[in-house]
Order: sequence, then C-alpha cells, then structure tokens
Amino acid sequence: MPLLVSDAIVLHAFDYLESSRILRLATREGGVRSALAKGARRSQRRFGSALDLFAQGSAQLSTRTGRDLDTLAGFDVVASRAALAEDLGRFAGASAIAELVLHFQSDHADPALFDALAATLDAIAAAPPSRAVDAALAGAWRVIGALGFAPALAECAECNAPLDDEAPALFTHAAGGLLCERCARLAPGGRRMPGEARRALQAWSRGGEADPLDAPAARAHLRLLREFLLHHVVDGRPLRAFELWERQSTGSGA
Amino acid sequence: MSAIDDLATEFAKLPGIGRKTALRLTYHLLKQPAEQSRRLAQTLLTMGERVRPCERCYNLTEDVLCAVCRDPRRDQAVVCVVEEASDIGAIERAGEYRGVYHVLGGRLSPLDGVGPEDLTVARLVERVRGGGVREVIVATNPSLEGEATALLVRRELAGAGEVAVTRIALGLPVGGDLEYADGVTIARALTARRAM
Repeated sequence: MPLLVSDAIVLHAFDYLESSRILRLATREGGVRSALAKGARRSQRRFGSALDLFAQGSAQLSTRTGRDLDTLAGFDVVASRAALAEDLGRFAGASAIAELVLHFQSDHADPALFDALAATLDAIAAAPPSRAVDAALAGAWRVIGALGFAPALAECAECNAPLDDEAPALFTHAAGGLLCERCARLAPGGRRMPGEARRALQAWSRGGEADPLDAPAARAHLRLLREFLLHHVVDGRPLRAFELWERQSTGSGA
Repeated sequence: MSAIDDLATEFAKLPGIGRKTALRLTYHLLKQPAEQSRRLAQTLLTMGERVRPCERCYNLTEDVLCAVCRDPRRDQAVVCVVEEASDIGAIERAGEYRGVYHVLGGRLSPLDGVGPEDLTVARLVERVRGGGVREVIVATNPSLEGEATALLVRRELAGAGEVAVTRIALGLPVGGDLEYADGVTIARALTARRAM
C-alpha cells in the first residue's frame, strides 16, 4: 500500500467498532481524507493524545487506489491546540471552521488552504474570549478565499466597476459580492453593508485583522456569513456546527 | 424488499456495522434454530419497553430510579458527571467511588449537531439547586470535546449555589512509562502536579 506522509489537522473524529476511530483529516498533500485509526481508543501508546480534535502533526497514511478510507499508520503531533477547549466561543468557532473545510474541500492537495486553516485555528486559540468570534469570522473569510469563493469587495461583482471604499454598498450572494449603485438598482435583493463592515470583510479576506466588533456587528457578520455559505452549499447538508456557533456567539440558546 | 434485506438494513444502522457485516449477521441468524431468533427479537422488544433513563441521574434502569440512586450507602452529596451511562461501569469497576452519578447523554460536538441543549446539564443544575449536593466531579473524557463539555458544566453550575466543582485528574497512566508518553500528556501531568 502506498504511504502518504503529510502535515495534517484532525477536523472530526468518531468511534468505530470497539476500539478504533475514524478521523477526517485536512492534509497539506492530499486534501481532506478519511482515515481509520485502528485501536486508537484502547492503546494510548500508539497515538497518544495526537488524535484529539484540531491537533496538527505529521500523518502517515496507508492509501489504496479506489478506497475512500485510508489507514492511519502513525501521527506525530506538533500542536495540540488545547486552548480551543478553554472557551466555548473558541470551541464553537473552530468547529464551524472545521465544518466549512469538510463541506467544501476535496481530496486534492491545496497547501494554501491548509496554511489558512492552520493559521485560523491558531488565531482562534490565541484570541481572548471576548474576541473569539472576531478571530473565527476572520478565519472563515480567509478559508473561504483559499477555497476560491472569495466575494468581490473592491469592485462591482457584476460590471467590475471600482467601488468607493467608504460608502455603503449592496452585497448579494447571487452575484458573489458587492454591487455598484447602478447594478444594485437591478438586483432583486441583498444586504446593504456599511463601510466599516466592508473594510472588516476586506481585511479578513486578505488574512488581516479588523477593528473589534460589537455585539450587533458580530450578529450581522455571522448572518452574512451563514447566508453566503448556504448559498454555496449544493448538497443540502445542514451547517450544524455553524448554527451552534451562531447561537453561542449571539447568546440565543447556548 | 425481502425480509433478508430488511434485517440487514436494520443491522447496518447499528454503530460500527457496515453492509457486509450486516449481511453476515443476517445469514448467521438464518442458520440458527427459529427459537433463537424469536428469543433475540423478544429480548430486543423487552429492552425497548423496560429500559429507560433514571429520573434523577439519567443512568439506564428498569425502575424509576437506578440502582446507584436507590442505594442508601451511596453519598448523595457527591455527584460524578459522566458523558454516557456506559462510563459509570468503568468507574464502578475501579471500586473507589461511593458517590452518585449524573449522565449528560453525550458531549459537546458541534460537528455532530450536539449542543448544550442536547445534554442534561440543565437537569444537573436543577438537581444541585435542589440542595444536598456538596461536590460535583466532572469526569468527561480528556479530549477537546470532553474539556469543552466540562467547561460548560462548570459555567452552568456557577450560579447554582454553594457547590465545589472539581475535574478528574489528567496525566500519566498508572504503570505507564514516562519515556513513551507523548508531550501533551506529560504537559498535562505537570500542570496537574500535586504536593507530596
């Protein structure tokens, strides 16, 4: 069986049979892959704490042509990201990012996406609890950009006319970004974004930081992101982690 | 669909059973005497009718309260919080714990759609508010999801009155070898060190 050795991040893990686990891994060289970790629940000696959620390390995967499930031969952990469990906002945000990658990435190598994911999880883990939602929103848009779904923010998504950075503009999911005044008049719907929100979105999409969000701004950004993702989800699977993150962050429920 | 397909489909819904194993189990049952299949079916029916969650702690029982909650020798003032009813067996096998339990019914897992409202944390808070609880030991698994769940329990209990909330110790396994332990486990063991 060919061996794939790659940097990897654990995105999802669930128990399989009595003592094994099935992992969903984001890998630098092989995209998102499923792997069977035999005996992972019973023997801590084999994988140790490496297979915890969001842990990053070097995975050794035995692959087989025509099989969707690899076998995990080893995993040398480099970063455990335990800080993500020290705040529920961080945990929920990181889970939503993992869901985003699981939904949209294929099994093709995408080093830029892998790096964006790793940087995002690190940023969420390092964010103070009050800024966890900002860090996760920034990371989500960065990951979306790396996936190739980045919205048009500097110029009109329909006619490519340059946009004034300060003025409010209409954001439509169908067009894939902001519209100039002329195209906005013809658009059937959308959300009008104030300049501050547009600047935040632009900064996040470039992998930068924006000014701290207050609660109403965070709610508005979460709503925009949810609508954007739902517009691009084609298989009808619900965004369960995202819903939980939104509830957690806006205080409605959790 | 044939009866064979029906049964294989039902088996395949069980955790860890794929289509191939489901068919193997089905053909195995077909080779057994009819009486054995009838007994299996009856046992499944009886289990579904009789087994239910304990009204106090959500352990599995055939009565209103489980055997642990009914036991007068148990310390009702100490409550050990576990993810699943099956975790109780593991703690009981150790033979050291004399308190009672509270089963959360899972752990926080946003990717599986399990949020705070899917766990019995609110019921635990009610139980503590009801009085008579001195300590809550959070014994969720030492995984990221288990830690997040422990954090949720601690947060929700913060306003529930005078109760000590403790976490089971994390670190090196008994009989283990420091040389072969991974870095994260050693780091946690060092963080949770205690005076001698």
